[in-house]
Amino acid sequence: MRVVHYLNQFFGGVGGEESAGLPLEARDGAVGPGNLLEQLLGDGARVVMTLVCGDNYAVENQQAMLAAALEKIAAAKADLFVAGPCFQAGRYGMVAGALCCAVQGKIGISVITGMAPENPGADLYRESLFIIDSGDNPAKMRDVLTRMASLAKKLTGKEAIGYPKDEGYIPRGLIRDRFVEKTAAERLVEMVLAKVKGEPFDSEMTAPAFAPVPMPPGVKDLRKAKLMLITDGGLVPKGNPDKIQGSAATRWGVYSIKGCDDLKGENYEISHGGYDPQFVRQDPDRLVPLDVMRELERDGYIGELYNEFFSTSGLANPLSNTRRMGREMAERAKQLGIDAIILTST
Amino acid sequence: MPLTLAIHPVKEIRSGANTRLEGTILVIAEDELRDVVLKVPGIESVDFAIVRPGESCRAGPIFDVVEPRAKAPGGSPDWPGILSAPRIAGHGTTHVLNGAAVTLLREQSPGESGGTMGYVLEMSGAAAEGSHYATLNHLIVIPHTQPGLPAHAQQKSYRSAQLRLAVFLARTALDAIPERTQEFDLSSDENRTALPRVAYVGQIFSRQRKPEPDEQILYGGDTDGMLPTLLHPNEWLDGALLPSYHVSLGGAGTYFYQNHPVITELYRRHEAGELNFTGTVATIASADNFDRERNTRFGANLVKWALKADACVLTKFGGGVPHTDLSETARILECEGIKTAVQVTDLARDQRVESALLFNFPEVNAIVCIGGNSTKWRVPPVARVIAANSDLAEILAGPFEIDSLNVVGVANQQGASRLRSMVY
Repeated sequence: MRVVHYLNQFFGGVGGEESAGLPLEARDGAVGPGNLLEQLLGDGARVVMTLVCGDNYAVENQQAMLAAALEKIAAAKADLFVAGPCFQAGRYGMVAGALCCAVQGKIGISVITGMAPENPGADLYRESLFIIDSGDNPAKMRDVLTRMASLAKKLTGKEAIGYPKDEGYIPRGLIRDRFVEKTAAERLVEMVLAKVKGEPFDSEMTAPAFAPVPMPPGVKDLRKAKLMLITDGGLVPKGNPDKIQGSAATRWGVYSIKGCDDLKGENYEISHGGYDPQFVRQDPDRLVPLDVMRELERDGYIGELYNEFFSTSGLANPLSNTRRMGREMAERAKQLGIDAIILTST
Repeated sequence: MPLTLAIHPVKEIRSGANTRLEGTILVIAEDELRDVVLKVPGIESVDFAIVRPGESCRAGPIFDVVEPRAKAPGGSPDWPGILSAPRIAGHGTTHVLNGAAVTLLREQSPGESGGTMGYVLEMSGAAAEGSHYATLNHLIVIPHTQPGLPAHAQQKSYRSAQLRLAVFLARTALDAIPERTQEFDLSSDENRTALPRVAYVGQIFSRQRKPEPDEQILYGGDTDGMLPTLLHPNEWLDGALLPSYHVSLGGAGTYFYQNHPVITELYRRHEAGELNFTGTVATIASADNFDRERNTRFGANLVKWALKADACVLTKFGGGVPHTDLSETARILECEGIKTAVQVTDLARDQRVESALLFNFPEVNAIVCIGGNSTKWRVPPVARVIAANSDLAEILAGPFEIDSLNVVGVANQQGASRLRSMVY
């Protein structure tokens, strides 16, 4: 097995912070921890090249550095790319993650790295990569490299990869199902008994933590504001021209309400499972309140209602979709000079 | 309120001249069964099929799976509020044809969240391994209703035919000696004060849909306007409850009310002296915030003041929105010092943890997650496809890819699922 190993200036033996500006260098064979890595991989594994780069140089010239590194790794005909371990070093972790992602995506060989869970590189790249949890203590180098080598061998051998606590990698935040011996009812009662007795229990899912969204400033003067309606309740014109999926939608549509004061059920349909759409079918204004918005517009309470509404389906929609669609809608609304949006859901 | 199950194992269903139980063989006379079904208004004709565990067979779309059970005289009646007067269910002796099922097929694909093929019974292969239903001997019932019957009337006919047949079959065991009996009784007066008091809150419907006209869910009632209700655990097991016609996500079947995995597990642990099973609350997931605020508080209040529980397990019904009612009830209970564990389905179509739950209350941290979204099978053609008509049979012929949520029993939300989401 041919291995290329990436190290920063410190682990590459060049120097500390004063050498952080070092440009990318390629050296033949193993350097520093690479010797141990080679030994732990066994089976005639050989570190054929070590790439060493200063942390500042790598971060400040990331695109150029990545391109140069990719070229060298491809030329080395490597079977495995190893970066770090980086422990708590933030710049090192970011670069190692970016390199591993690029090598995995562009060259398609197995990659492995190691970081502390608190390393910003772990946060950015753990979904895409297997990152061995290195902790923050470089004195544990042998332990960490042992786990990295063990998982790397499974990856290059295309073996099944176990769970984070068995393999030692940082949970990627992904889900796969497994059939287990106990029924859900048995697991449920067992869990509540442990909890009520104050014993440890192993929740099968953890609730995500989301960064709070800051409240935007209020609209200064509604009488001059341009408003827009957006819904994720799946209201689309008859025939669903944009083929917006009724569940886990990946698309959103823009529909004209120009010259219209009241939405009529016969012109629309609902592409959204999971709720009882009969009331919206009877009167779509119940979901997209055009009728009352027009009254407010006529009364001068609002400046103007934008003459199109955006629509998609929110049902069972993963955040990876909704984040993208939300961003796209917000960009479009900004371009249109919209001051405020009323979002209606079901 | 003791309930005794008189259990008669059934190892085989066979056709014969008259319907009877011969040891572990249930003999059925189709003419007799047809007489039972054709008494139900709206049904013009009916076909039957017998399916064995492990057989290369696929049937669908499934309306419901019911275990044949019949009440012995002197106890509560069969299906009170539905087939009998609305007396309290759950006491006396119930004869059970254990290992058998009456499984009724729909005539149309249910569409919407059930998908084109609806819920499918797989009796062999990898998909079958995930469902308890594949281990049963099924009497498949294929009703043909009057053309033009409204959907709600059609489904009421299905329900009535299926329950009547199940009772009719189990009555063959009324005079037989059961292989064993099982007692469900919480009235013991022994001193159990040291054990944690554990309650169960189960959603029995989700107002993501209005119930169909005449839909029979709780003692024949449709849950419209329902507030959380105290039920004795035996009421769940013995005929008070039926799943809605809309069992989205393959979530609920009558069979697993009769054999309720959460209730039977709480009973088992109660008898083992590990906990005090204090009772249950049946509730529904709400359609709006007013109902949600009221229902979650009422439910939690019953657990606290009526059941005086130290701990509570909760399950949901239906799709995503019920996560909200479930977790809010659990959160209120936790605030009252009552420890909770909840069972959910995984909602992450992108297989990311961040999309799996519709709540993030720090207190609601004991979560059983039956997956579903990352399990599918490529199922092969089978020797026998059973469906109500040739169009449906063609859809089910195989090979095709089927999601775990569409294989009946796999992602069951009543506690029967052995599927688990693993985070990696």
